[in-house]
Amino acid sequence: MANLALLTWTFLWLSFLCVGGGLGVIPEMERQAVTIHHWLTAREFVDGYTLSQLTPGPNMLVAVFVGHRVHGLLGAALAGLAMFVPTSVLAIVISHHWQQWRDRPWAVAAERALLPVGVGLMAGGVYTLARTAIHDGVTAALAVATAIVVATDRVPPVVAILAAGAIGWLLWR
Amino acid sequence: MRRVSLLRLIVVFAWTGLSSLGGGRSAYFHESLVRRRGWIRHDEFVQDFTLSQVMPGPNFSNLAVVLGYRLAGFAGGVWGLLAVVLPGALILLAASGLYAEGAFGTGATLLMRGLSAAVVGLVAVTSLRIMCGSLRGARAAAIALLTFVAVGPLRLPTVAVVLVMTALSFALYRFAPGPHPALPPTPPPAENA
Repeated sequence: MANLALLTWTFLWLSFLCVGGGLGVIPEMERQAVTIHHWLTAREFVDGYTLSQLTPGPNMLVAVFVGHRVHGLLGAALAGLAMFVPTSVLAIVISHHWQQWRDRPWAVAAERALLPVGVGLMAGGVYTLARTAIHDGVTAALAVATAIVVATDRVPPVVAILAAGAIGWLLWR
Repeated sequence: MRRVSLLRLIVVFAWTGLSSLGGGRSAYFHESLVRRRGWIRHDEFVQDFTLSQVMPGPNFSNLAVVLGYRLAGFAGGVWGLLAVVLPGALILLAASGLYAEGAFGTGATLLMRGLSAAVVGLVAVTSLRIMCGSLRGARAAAIALLTFVAVGPLRLPTVAVVLVMTALSFALYRFAPGPHPALPPTPPPAENA
């Protein structure tokens, strides 16, 4: 019971740390789940994150994976709710007011100042992702090849990714 | 204020969520709502994207809420969130169950390694598309670059970086007002708006 409350609380405050993409919060989440609370091993955490990358939807669904390791279905539900519901309520409240405030001078100034920061965070997210997924020549080649194929707009992105995954599997097998 | 029906919004958001593999998933929304369907203009998307990035919370779900709100009001925000998060959550839950039973062997690990690498290529291209359309002026580019270096290679804490860079950005524009970095809007490439 205490463990469930701790789990919920941890993902609740972690969710508020997700600024500029979830990638930034991953190191802290790992510290909490692995080092401090011993909910799972480091290896399991990495596997869970990869799974959350490769399954559809937000990668912060990794909370569901961790919750499941801690306390099965109930743990998964609580961790997922803690991760997504409070910040989404905040998001809807802010966007409701933002639509009305958008044209005011201070709102324009705020957006103007925040936009380049948001773009920088996005680029930082790509960098972090590359650091975790590219280890050698083959992974680098797969990434570059996928980028080229996607840039031509000829194939749906999902198809390009699945094809690259299959090629990698054939090469490493 | 409703631009699309709730049902279409749910279907399109759910599909966008389901077809989004890998990180940096906001780019999928740009592809789906701006480039393919023309429901949202590029400059609107950039505004919503920025808002979803700087608000606390997972930015993909934040973006779903903000875009859903723009397209169909409160109901759009709520249903947009559910459509994007719920299917993926159920799939990951099933995967977690399989993982707990040790169903992932070496073959699956190798496949996952290739998929993760490919995802980087995809995310790089789609992110570049958003970035190129949104930065105007040298100051905006400089702030974006500094932010990138701080959270990327230097691995400084995100919250601190956001606070410092936002303050710096405000100061830069306050003392020397320039063009709005997101405006004037680039013409929407909508073919079937």
